[in-house]
Amino acid sequence: MPFREVNSRVVEAVIAPGQKMFSQRGAMLAYRGEVSFTPNVQGGQGGVMSMIGRRVANEATPLMTVEGDGTVMFGHGGHHIQVIQLSGDTLYVEADRLLAFDGTLTQGTMFMGSQGGVMGMVRGQVTGQGLFTTTLKGHGAVAVMAHGGVIELPVTPGRAVHVDPQAYVAHHGDVRNKLSTALGWRDMVGRGSGEAFQLELSGSGAVYVQASEEKL
Amino acid sequence: MATFRLQGSKVLAVDMTGDTVKAKNGSMVAYDGQMAFKKMTGGGEGLRGMVTRRLTGEQMTVMEVKGQGTCWFADRASEISLVHLRGETLYVESSNLLCTDAGLRTGTTFTGLRGASQGNGLFTTTVEGSGQAAIMSDGPAVVLRVTPQYPLSVDPGAYIAHQGDLRQDFQSGVTFRTFLGEGGGEAFQIRFEGDGLVYVQPSERNTVGGDV
Repeated sequence: MPFREVNSRVVEAVIAPGQKMFSQRGAMLAYRGEVSFTPNVQGGQGGVMSMIGRRVANEATPLMTVEGDGTVMFGHGGHHIQVIQLSGDTLYVEADRLLAFDGTLTQGTMFMGSQGGVMGMVRGQVTGQGLFTTTLKGHGAVAVMAHGGVIELPVTPGRAVHVDPQAYVAHHGDVRNKLSTALGWRDMVGRGSGEAFQLELSGSGAVYVQASEEKL
Repeated sequence: MATFRLQGSKVLAVDMTGDTVKAKNGSMVAYDGQMAFKKMTGGGEGLRGMVTRRLTGEQMTVMEVKGQGTCWFADRASEISLVHLRGETLYVESSNLLCTDAGLRTGTTFTGLRGASQGNGLFTTTVEGSGQAAIMSDGPAVVLRVTPQYPLSVDPGAYIAHQGDLRQDFQSGVTFRTFLGEGGGEAFQIRFEGDGLVYVQPSERNTVGGDV
């Protein structure tokens, strides 16, 4: 458990020699001990190919590598921070919401169209998230940012969860997501309820939802 | 009847079994089960209510949520408080109202000078009947009890709602000093007398009163 929640907006990570962490560039608030921060040109790990992948996918939030022996406090923009523990499963999250994560996790990029086909791509456009999302896989902890607090909703077979695309933060587990629309004639004439688009998550895992409909 | 519960301080979870609630337009963040969302014209008070709302500026866009399952509501990370009404009336600014039981009636009422000093207009929204309502505040709301022996004065910018048998009075401490720019910065207050509860937020809206 490398993250300790100092309060709802600050987390502290223990950095041990030989271990690596990645964090969003400029997210360090304070540190103790001997710690070095190296800007990461590749924007994460996975080599040059992965870098090109992220550039093309516009998921290239600048990251830095944190190494050494000590403790580091992270926080950014006064946003709430949620620590998510991964045990072999995959976390799907927007790159700009990633505050810091364990260096042991494998970072990748996923094309939205591969889940839900054309609707997956429409989803990216509707939510303003683009066509790609970042994935983290393995055993370790991730700190993600959200506006307002975060609630974790379990997704179980037979009990799908629908989420407002603007309030969606991240999800993990064996979860399929698709954009569902309830566009009726009311929306066309401007009398809609404001809830025309939802993300439907089904399978088994969990989805993280923020208490706000504002983007970061 | 729909059950209202808070999940943290900023998310409202409503458990429904085929019943209906009224909520601020677009405030749903997630749901499971089956839900239908329908916009109601003019705050759900029919045509007359809509005309009144237009005229009074107490505009409110409300949707009707009907379903089976749990629906989660939140708005701009505002703090949420639950209010139980037992045949009483809750007075609340329409911008602070998140969700109500469908069984509660909403309306509009005249507030007098208070509203003008608050920058909210001369009218406020009323919620009447028996059931639950969820109100929003900037920071956790404080509930203050008013009894005949203990009247209460509130900064108009920090006031969010009140319930019970209360009279409200507009107080102004404007003196010649205020005009000289030597005022205390607290020139206006609302004074509540009677028996009831007043909800106050730990933050101040921008009001005319804040500048004098």
